Amino acid sequence: MGRDAFEVDALSHIDALYRTALRMTRSEADAHDLVQETYVRALRFRDQFTPGTNLKAWLFRILTNTFINEYRKRSRAPETTELDDVDEFSLYRRMSRDRPASSTDPEQEFLDGIVSTEVKDALAALPEKFRATVLLDVEGFSYKEIAEMLEIPIGTVMSRLHRGRKFLQQRLIELARERGIAALRAAPRAD
Amino acid sequence: MDCRDCLERLYAFLDQELGPVDFEDVKAHLKDCGDCGESFRFEARFLRIVRDCGTSDVAPAELRERIIRRLREESPRTL
Repeated sequence: MGRDAFEVDALSHIDALYRTALRMTRSEADAHDLVQETYVRALRFRDQFTPGTNLKAWLFRILTNTFINEYRKRSRAPETTELDDVDEFSLYRRMSRDRPASSTDPEQEFLDGIVSTEVKDALAALPEKFRATVLLDVEGFSYKEIAEMLEIPIGTVMSRLHRGRKFLQQRLIELARERGIAALRAAPRAD
Repeated sequence: MDCRDCLERLYAFLDQELGPVDFEDVKAHLKDCGDCGESFRFEARFLRIVRDCGTSDVAPAELRERIIRRLREESPRTL
């Protein structure tokens, strides 16, 4: 593939690479550097790309490798602690269990009230152990593609996705509680 | 398939990663089980919201321009 055609095709994925880099590095400046480095490497190694295969996946593989090798070790933001018992119950079931008698549908109220900026913050706040897996899933990659990019077994992709999604739910429900969604408040004590 | 088996396959089902046999088994269970159906609908909507919000950012124009300049330096046009 010629340089110009390659450049046009590759640049069509810049939005996805940028937002993923932003959440991986948790730094606007590092995200810019990481995306630029990804494109420089992609151009340098473009002969290794097989035309007709998935260019987006190839670019993301360069992005994740570059991040793991060069950015992760100097990550500035403090690491988020993984929440306990994240696997035990789905949020949905816990909400149903905790549901006050007066509440009709706390799950729908929770979903209706989710704020876009809170989702983005929650994605960036994911513990590093499963952040990349969840971010690649959000960008629409299959389990197999994620497994190949991160060089982990498919079973690990599945368990990281599971834990990551539960983390997101817990984080978002905490924020919803802080905003005071009535149905998510603990039921008033009877005394 | 019982509820436990069904819920274990929840994400793989929603992610369209289940094999055809499991997929049909989950579908059959969901038809008869209101509780699992509700869980699946909740999770499906939650994942859709995360995807929609998580993919709404676009790269700043200055980053795009900076990269184009950098790529030109890296590999000048040879005519």
